[in-house]
Amino acid sequence: MAVKETIEAKQQIASPQLTGAEIREKIRLFPWWTVGLIGVFVLTAHLILTRPSYQDAFNFIRAGVGVTVQTTLVAYGIALVLGLFTGLGRISHNVVIQNLGTLYVELIRGIPMLVLIFFIAFVGVPAGVGLLNQIGEWFSQIGLQLIAQPLIQLENSSVPMTTRAIIALSVTYGAFQAEIFRAGIQSIGRGQMEAARAQGMTHWQAMRFIILPQAIRNVLPALGNDFVSMLKDSSLVSVLAVRDITQIAKLYAGRSFQYQEAYVTLAVLYLMMTVVLSALVKWIERRVRQDERNA
Amino acid sequence: MNATHEMIQVINLRKKFGRLVALDGVNLTVRRGQVIVIIGPSGSGKSTLLRCINHLETPTEGEIWIERQKITGNQRQLNAIRSQIGMVFQHFNLYPHLTVLENVTLAQRIVRKIPKSQAEAIAMHHLERVGIADKARSYPAQLSGGQQQRVAIARALAQDPKIMLFDEPTSALDPEMIKEVLDVMLNLAEEGITMVVVTHEMGFARAAADEVIFMDYGKIIERATPEVFFSQPAHERSRAFLSQILSH
Repeated sequence: MAVKETIEAKQQIASPQLTGAEIREKIRLFPWWTVGLIGVFVLTAHLILTRPSYQDAFNFIRAGVGVTVQTTLVAYGIALVLGLFTGLGRISHNVVIQNLGTLYVELIRGIPMLVLIFFIAFVGVPAGVGLLNQIGEWFSQIGLQLIAQPLIQLENSSVPMTTRAIIALSVTYGAFQAEIFRAGIQSIGRGQMEAARAQGMTHWQAMRFIILPQAIRNVLPALGNDFVSMLKDSSLVSVLAVRDITQIAKLYAGRSFQYQEAYVTLAVLYLMMTVVLSALVKWIERRVRQDERNA
Repeated sequence: MNATHEMIQVINLRKKFGRLVALDGVNLTVRRGQVIVIIGPSGSGKSTLLRCINHLETPTEGEIWIERQKITGNQRQLNAIRSQIGMVFQHFNLYPHLTVLENVTLAQRIVRKIPKSQAEAIAMHHLERVGIADKARSYPAQLSGGQQQRVAIARALAQDPKIMLFDEPTSALDPEMIKEVLDVMLNLAEEGITMVVVTHEMGFARAAADEVIFMDYGKIIERATPEVFFSQPAHERSRAFLSQILSH
């Protein structure tokens, strides 16, 4: 993006007649990689339009885009909330909350994501269901049948794999985003909190109205990048047999033995989604920086 | 004005940062309407004293009373008491994501629950008072340092404070902007607002202070009217300090 800005600036300054040095500079600064990227998309589109084997693969695999996008969106939303509260917990003055937050972040950071997905889906969720059953029993004993019954009747086997996948992704990314939020909050100078407290605001009012609005704006680009990462990492949930594009491509390849068609289509589909999202993140980043300059 | 009415009472205040003793047994009484200017070398504890008065720093020992309310160890009343004390910081600490008007209305609305239109009317009144009403829709970063500090003063005044605390309000300003801030402060002093000002501006101390307090090593060394303090300081350390800053 910095490259593009430089080019734009140069174009404004440049006189109609370009000198040789200016042309060389333009050629040097031109984002040639985008040409390569577009070439990949054009070539793939060409294959899909002209070859029936690619067309079959594309039509079959694209059915998974909905699951991939939906899984990512829901998990990302949950991770945002989880991350915000954990991030606040990490800088809390309450020793218990601060340590619980840190423990969560360190646990997640120390375990590979694939292993976490297996662990949360096959150990974490059953344990959680067991705990909810137990809580249901307690409610039942104190006579709150209305709350107790749905909790007791919850069964591990009735939790769909898609739900487990979403839980796994959001718990994992919640820890990453906690670190983003923590860094964002800590990037705001101490004077802001002091000014707010000196005006009689409570700690939470100061957080809500003064610190967080500034912190979140600062971390928007980082949060956007995390969304792109999560879209890619959502491919890992295919190990839970969730029918996202990766799983569907795997099924298609195994069934038709057309590995090349299946995986070229799969890779390009991810690439298209991430390129669009990255462009969006860069646009947000630029907006934030412009605001900073004007504000 | 009730001459015996004590606005701020500081009793045997001690503040330690680790092993460093920032305040070492400070006693201070400020009456309603008084303008007190605290001067002293850096590290003498003057800012710490000011920050203890509204509990931005928690005292290690001692008591602070605002009017008849004890502020030390009074967590429940702390926010209510703070909302009655305006504070102006060296680095302004305006809220950069809010407009000037929002800076001045926010605390009114969420702390004192004043409706928006009324809060804005109050804000405009105080912005006019500091001569910056035309910038109400601007963002802090679009203003000069002097303008920002005047907004910060308006923000504090909008709390309708019983006391105004100034923590080196002109130290971060370019020389040509110091006067516009000091002029506003002089006006406030003449209006009879209770003020405690930590500053290096001796001209302001002479013109506005009812009393000058000289601090060093965490203690109040001398307390006198500006006429007496600047012409015949009683203490040797006061004399040494004055000769250093007034010698050129």
